[in-house]
Amino acid sequence: MLPVLLWTPRAWGDPEGSSLEDLDDIRAALQADAEEASGAPAPGASGDPPVVSAPSGSAGSTRSSSMNPNLSLIMDTALAAFSSVDEAASGGAHDPAVNGFNLQQLELAVGSAVDPYLRLDGNIVFGLFGVEIEEIYGTTVALPGALQLRMGQFLTRFGRANPTHPHTWAFVDQPLVLGRLMGGEGNRGLGVEASVLAPLPWYVEIVGSETMAAGAATARSFYGADDLGVASPADLQSTVAIKQFFPLGEDLSLMWGLSWASGPNPTGRNRTELYGTDLYLKYRPITQASFTELSLHTEWIGRRYQVPDDVLTDVTGFVQGTWRFSRRWGVAGRYEYGTPTTDLRGDEVLDPTDPAWLGFRQRIGANLTFWPSEFSRIRVQGSSDTLDWVPDPILAGFLALELSVGAHGAHAF
Amino acid sequence: MIRVLRLLSLLSLLEGVALAKEVHVVATVPTLAALASEVVGDHGEVISLALHTQDPHFVDARPNLALALSRADLLVLTGLGLEVGWLPTLLTGSRNGRIQPGSVGYLDASRHVQVLQIPTSAVDRSMGDIHPGGNPHYHLDPRAARPVVVALAERLGTLDPEHAGDYQLNAKLFLVELDAAIARWQEQAQPLRGIPVIDLHRSWPYVADWLGFEIVADIEPKPGVPPTPRHVLAVIGLARERGVGLVIQESWLPSNVSRTVAEKSGARLLILDAQADFRGGQTYVQHVDALVSALVAGVTP
Repeated sequence: MLPVLLWTPRAWGDPEGSSLEDLDDIRAALQADAEEASGAPAPGASGDPPVVSAPSGSAGSTRSSSMNPNLSLIMDTALAAFSSVDEAASGGAHDPAVNGFNLQQLELAVGSAVDPYLRLDGNIVFGLFGVEIEEIYGTTVALPGALQLRMGQFLTRFGRANPTHPHTWAFVDQPLVLGRLMGGEGNRGLGVEASVLAPLPWYVEIVGSETMAAGAATARSFYGADDLGVASPADLQSTVAIKQFFPLGEDLSLMWGLSWASGPNPTGRNRTELYGTDLYLKYRPITQASFTELSLHTEWIGRRYQVPDDVLTDVTGFVQGTWRFSRRWGVAGRYEYGTPTTDLRGDEVLDPTDPAWLGFRQRIGANLTFWPSEFSRIRVQGSSDTLDWVPDPILAGFLALELSVGAHGAHAF
Repeated sequence: MIRVLRLLSLLSLLEGVALAKEVHVVATVPTLAALASEVVGDHGEVISLALHTQDPHFVDARPNLALALSRADLLVLTGLGLEVGWLPTLLTGSRNGRIQPGSVGYLDASRHVQVLQIPTSAVDRSMGDIHPGGNPHYHLDPRAARPVVVALAERLGTLDPEHAGDYQLNAKLFLVELDAAIARWQEQAQPLRGIPVIDLHRSWPYVADWLGFEIVADIEPKPGVPPTPRHVLAVIGLARERGVGLVIQESWLPSNVSRTVAEKSGARLLILDAQADFRGGQTYVQHVDALVSALVAGVTP
């Protein structure tokens, strides 16, 4: 029943031979293991510190019963070089932005159960010149009918990329689509969200939220920097998303999402609507001793921006692939594309939320990542950004370091 | 004795058929699922979130697992931080108040076993991926299975009072079988007593403590940290010095370095399933049976 591999290189008995001669063989074996196991190093039993057994009959009694929340700090920093730093519009607020050294962010993540019914999670981000409450929200965990509520400030669950933080990204910088349509920080706001698992045999999650529609870096396609206030519920941003998961066997996973958001924009109380779809395919063999990971993620958002006597439209998106080919190494590639904004007649017009965006834009990038452990990451990335309105492509190179300490919460798939 | 208990169990089951209501148990790892299955019997279903071929430290939090948790009456987990990288997000996503920490439906099995290797000084990640609460790899030690089964029977009885007697009976039946097996395994494993062994990852101290062999070195210099050539060389040197005859490791980890250590030190390499093949129908007793047989075969000339 139990598959056991018995391997006997020599007869059971005394070993022999010089140890230094073995080094080449050991290096070869280490390399082979590294190539086979592309996952993060496996944590395991207690290591170096002195250890004891729990006293007999009092199992578990020696464990900590701290009431403190889980706290973690994550530092993202990068050395950057651009061929031109002035023209790189629609970047993320935490992207490297200047030649030389950049502190992208220092994230303090907090999370704990409030009581048997709620938990509180937050991400407080420090920069060199300030602090922002990126997210702080309560989540219900015990409502009937597979219903869940979130209340507070949170990243909306529009698409797959928007609700994530930099330490889960496959690239040093934020996708262009988020910067262009949502804002440098991604789409977030104070509000309330309800989600429910549909009573179906497969995973179908339906999410709806109402959030404040203002913020140049958080609700760019809505009120953005011009906050006209809330006179009625129609002045809030409404977001609806449907997320479906299909386990295509044990090793292959497919997630597909559809998203829609609607909210006011400042051009005379007109409205903006966003339509998005995202697809995530992941291969990770778990039925054998291999931790190779391959993923494909694509996401596209169409925008319909109402202005007096016209409706402006554009489409932006990306496709990216990642391949973790050994225990500590992985590569990734990304192609991004954005159309110019056009009016009802199909003529190109100024993007109302980003006047610097004047035509087609394509960015292609690739990176190589080294993970010394699952708590640190070194990434080298290069990209070429072709903007119709800039004569030469903007080239960018990053050498990024991420360090994480403390107890950080588990991430969603 | 076993026949009498089985008969009582069958009668009790027939009695409850008319009012049968299935209990849904989700275990994080297959070995706990195998134990839960012994206690649940025919009164419900048991699901394991992880496969027996999968490293339980690194399970993808696939949404279908949250769906399974959303329907659970009881969650059984290893605890001690083994599932900390993936279970919390699934638990929150399950929206299931019955199995949240602190609820009757949340059973941290580690609370019922005698934990080994609890750090007695401050720990941090410079020491590797350590578990501050102690070593979580107690699944293979049948002495730990015993209190877990007792706790399962009590908890299931609380959740499903109508069948509490059945759960107690099922547990008692299983423990009779387990005790007999433990005696058999301990006799069978006599050749292992006192022998020096090398492991790859420190997953085996419970088995070593139970069967009496000595783990003289880990190929990983620190838990979860890949070894350097110098460290491997030192391990080989130690293996030669101590006359190590066995190198053991879990089936979900790459085996090239372990194989090299075994080859260079004249030892045998055993690649072992550290979790029961629950989905394949393997019982806990069959699982430990196979493990003990493999270990004994490993030291048999």
